[in-house]
Amino acid sequence: MTVAKVYTPEIQLDHVSMRFQTDKTEVVALENVSVDIQKGEFVSLLGPSGCGKTTLLRIMADLIQPTSGEIKVAGKSAKEARLAQKYGIVFQSPVLYDWRKVKENISLPLEMTGVKKGERESRVDELLQLVGLTNFQDKYPWQLSGGMQQRVAIARALAMEPEILLMDEPFSALDEFSRERLNEELLSIWSKVKNTVVFVTHSIPEAIFLSDRVFVLSPHPGRLAAVVDIPIPRPRKQEIRQSKEFYQLISGIRNIFEGV
Amino acid sequence: MRNTFVLSRSRWTPTLSWIIGVLVIWEVCSWLLLHVIQVPLAQSKLPFIHMLAQTLIGYGTTLLTEGWVTFKNAGIGFFVGATAGLILAILMSISKWIEQLTFPYAVASQMIPILGLAPIVFGIVRDDQLARILIAGYITFFPVALNVLRGLRSTNPSALELMYSYAAKPWTIYWKLRFPGMLPGLFTGLKIAAPLAVTGAILVELMGATNGIGVIMLRNLYYGPSHIYMFWLTVITGALLGILSYSIISFIERWITPWQPEYRPSGGED
Repeated sequence: MTVAKVYTPEIQLDHVSMRFQTDKTEVVALENVSVDIQKGEFVSLLGPSGCGKTTLLRIMADLIQPTSGEIKVAGKSAKEARLAQKYGIVFQSPVLYDWRKVKENISLPLEMTGVKKGERESRVDELLQLVGLTNFQDKYPWQLSGGMQQRVAIARALAMEPEILLMDEPFSALDEFSRERLNEELLSIWSKVKNTVVFVTHSIPEAIFLSDRVFVLSPHPGRLAAVVDIPIPRPRKQEIRQSKEFYQLISGIRNIFEGV
Repeated sequence: MRNTFVLSRSRWTPTLSWIIGVLVIWEVCSWLLLHVIQVPLAQSKLPFIHMLAQTLIGYGTTLLTEGWVTFKNAGIGFFVGATAGLILAILMSISKWIEQLTFPYAVASQMIPILGLAPIVFGIVRDDQLARILIAGYITFFPVALNVLRGLRSTNPSALELMYSYAAKPWTIYWKLRFPGMLPGLFTGLKIAAPLAVTGAILVELMGATNGIGVIMLRNLYYGPSHIYMFWLTVITGALLGILSYSIISFIERWITPWQPEYRPSGGED
């Protein structure tokens, strides 16, 4: 990326802790996590299950509230950011509505905010083009492959042109080949949208391939173990997965997990 | 065109041959009972098909008129019951308090034998039209309420979170997510209830209505063996009304919710 980069914080988490009370025992999902994500940055939250990465994302999305700590999303509180539709979200499963065709699913957030019909249609056309599903707009979700369904979910999340895109292990249900293809497609989509992306994953190569920075989380309790810069230049193609630099980054992150 | 014709013919061939097969076996069994085994009242047990057909030609209009009366009343009751069930299910899904208050009564109401309830209702309202509607509605109400409530409750949690991320109002969540999501449940309830509503209406007619298929059913049973063919025809008409009601609901279901898994072509595409 460019050398002279202006840093403006987009998401700030300051000493965020999250405890869940199950009968008699207290589970610490997150302990004192502080994270600073810059505007226009692609970051991954990486870690094994139980490290609280999804919890962290859900806190940013205001789907849950932390036990303690401060959060700022797009200069607002998490709740204000949600109410102002500052982010779009993609879940692990596509969560498409069965009764809506592809284009109607993408149009959903636009309907929710009262965008006029004509405007909605042209916006949906743009989004279909962006994710390469123009020919499938009149299909129902079940007529698409898992990868295509997730692309519909991405288009839907981008419908309101959000400043932030939150993605919770969106490709984890896909096979390795589809996942790698979608990684590349996601980067190509992102290169056109250029918003801030927070991507939750448990795959080290996926995190490296996609991100500017990787936030490595360790489990029990969930803590931030390291922040790894990924200096691989963009645009990134599949070939970089074979590069020495890529392997070194992988083993670097592996060592972090083994160290803790 | 030729292809579609061949296709449709091959599709209907099994059904048609099955029906013809059953009718032939019926006729043969009927003949055996009457002439070979010589059981008493053989025709009451299994009448000849050709005699039924002959009676149908003479009394077809009567069956149609009376059948229509039954079907109409069952239909009205069904509509009223379904609406009530739908509304109660929505209220119960909104408020746990309403559910706890009303659900036990809804369940208990289904424990009352319909055979006993029908004369009671008839005795209270003293109007065969209204009694039929009430009983049909009463039967419809429960399966509809139960299945709709289940449909409303089974919303995917992530789909709800998505709505939450859009800062959606509760009413919008119902309109955009919960209602479409509960439609399969609604149709399941309606399909269970529709034939039952017809049966319920016939039951009330047996208690002493002035018209309807149940009335001529009772009359022909009462007049004894000479009316046995007409009696059988009323029973068959009753069954056909049930099948018709079910088919109508299935047809509407397919039209309104074509996206349901059961309508997806098998094999699929990739």
